[in-house]
Amino acid sequence: MLASLFLIGAVFATPQMSVQAASQTIVENSSDGMTRAVNRMLGGIITYVRWPDGRAAAPRTMCLVGTPRLTASIAPDIPGERRVIVRRTTAGGAMTGGGCDILFLGRMPGDERRRLIEWVRGEPTLTITDDDPACRTGAMFCLARKPAGLSFSVNLDAIGRGPLRVDPRVLKIGGADGGAS
Amino acid sequence: MTDRVPRRTTLQKLLSRFHFGITLFAVALSGITILLAGITAMRGYADRNIELAAQLGAYGVEPALVFNDPQAAREGLKPLMKIPGIAHLRVLDDRGHPLVEWRSPIEDPAPVLTRIFFPEPFAMTVRRNGSAIGTIEVWGDSTTLTDYVRIGMLAGLACLLITALGTIALARRFEYELVKPLNEIATVAHDVRLHRRFDKRVTSLSIAELDRLGGDINALLDELEGWQGHMEDERAVLAHRAAHDPLTTMPNRSAFDEQLKCRLEAAAQQHHRFALLFIDVDNFKAVNDGFGHAAGDAVLVAMATQIKAVLRSGDFAARIGGDEFVVIIDPIDPTVLPAALVERIRASVAEPIALPGGQHHGTAISVGAALYPDDGRDAAALLTAADAAMYADKLRHRS
Repeated sequence: MLASLFLIGAVFATPQMSVQAASQTIVENSSDGMTRAVNRMLGGIITYVRWPDGRAAAPRTMCLVGTPRLTASIAPDIPGERRVIVRRTTAGGAMTGGGCDILFLGRMPGDERRRLIEWVRGEPTLTITDDDPACRTGAMFCLARKPAGLSFSVNLDAIGRGPLRVDPRVLKIGGADGGAS
Repeated sequence: MTDRVPRRTTLQKLLSRFHFGITLFAVALSGITILLAGITAMRGYADRNIELAAQLGAYGVEPALVFNDPQAAREGLKPLMKIPGIAHLRVLDDRGHPLVEWRSPIEDPAPVLTRIFFPEPFAMTVRRNGSAIGTIEVWGDSTTLTDYVRIGMLAGLACLLITALGTIALARRFEYELVKPLNEIATVAHDVRLHRRFDKRVTSLSIAELDRLGGDINALLDELEGWQGHMEDERAVLAHRAAHDPLTTMPNRSAFDEQLKCRLEAAAQQHHRFALLFIDVDNFKAVNDGFGHAAGDAVLVAMATQIKAVLRSGDFAARIGGDEFVVIIDPIDPTVLPAALVERIRASVAEPIALPGGQHHGTAISVGAALYPDDGRDAAALLTAADAAMYADKLRHRS
């Protein structure tokens, strides 16, 4: 039926499982399982981030740069009223056009990514990427496919530089306390 | 059916048993009350504890539910696993599927208590931005309660012991206060009954009722003492009357017999001598016939007075018949002859006696003496010898 049940079984069978460095979201075994898992994870991350404007329920704009690797249809799944508007753009567009609360970095050239990261430092913008499993290029949250499912890790350095506030529980899940990953 | 002898117990034992019963009852009652109140309070705390744990758990597993991450949920539950009194934890996602489940490795010390006090898990819905994203369920166990009950039982037992000892000591004191005066009354009554100590009295007692009882007993003893004294006086009078001649107030025949017996025994033991004098008034019948019985009585009284006047302290005189007197001279000087004794007596009564009619009568007496052990060693022999001597004397007077 669901892979989740197997996973739960595994958790029960080995209660002293070693602490993983990052979150491990269950991915359903259906055709769009990964899409749903990615969108759910994105929605979860967004709900645990506070923008300095203080408007918790305000709709946020997600600027999609590059090609997402995990799923083609990025649409963060947020429980409740809050909405996220997804806008495809380029690196230049994102930097000049403004209005990006969230920057999703797909696959893109390295120098372009570096420029974008340089620019976003200090801006109230959340950066998420799915093209950096080790999370070393400067995005705040990095999504990665793992054998057991989907996971994310956190770059504390990047979060610490920016004005956004992230719920510490998420940082913990993201393995931030396990070191800069 | 056999006769049932009622079992006797002392007042002290009775009071002790009674006090102990009351104390035990009171202590047990208060102990149980405190224990029950404590259990109720503890149960409240335990419920609150579980509720707080559930809230903590809900906060901890909230992101894990958002990301649908069992490992993170497990991490989120970690703080709860250290809280004592939690047996079982379970996190369900928004569709009711279990995400993570944990059971305490510590065995439930009292499953019965757990079933009574925590029959249902405490369930709390985890919300994110107003919508339910999952549920956390917390089952409590009896660890905290058993600890309390154990400590409570021990403390209760200690209290019971201390209270019991204290109350027993107090009861002892009370018993002592009550039993001591009762014993005093009993002692006085016992003394009076057994030893005829009618002069004994109950002293003033500190307990009003017992003091009244003591007072009544004292009054009763006063009356008894009065009766006793009166009876002793009566008895003395009767005894005197039985042993004495009412006319001359001299000892009578029976008193003389008793006295003679004593003197014989004493003389036999100490080997000394004594004399027995037999005295008879000559012509007493003529005095009676010629002057009347009153004159006869006057002669007898005068005789008695004169005989008594010559007696020494150790001597004994008695009137043993109408006009017969006996005198025991004891001890007697070995050099004195019986004849000298006889003459001394005769000389003492030589004075004429004044009669009621105003006349005087010169009385003559016949006296016979017998010596112990010369004339006899027993009463009959002595009396016979003295009697014979007296008759000889009388015959001498007539001739």
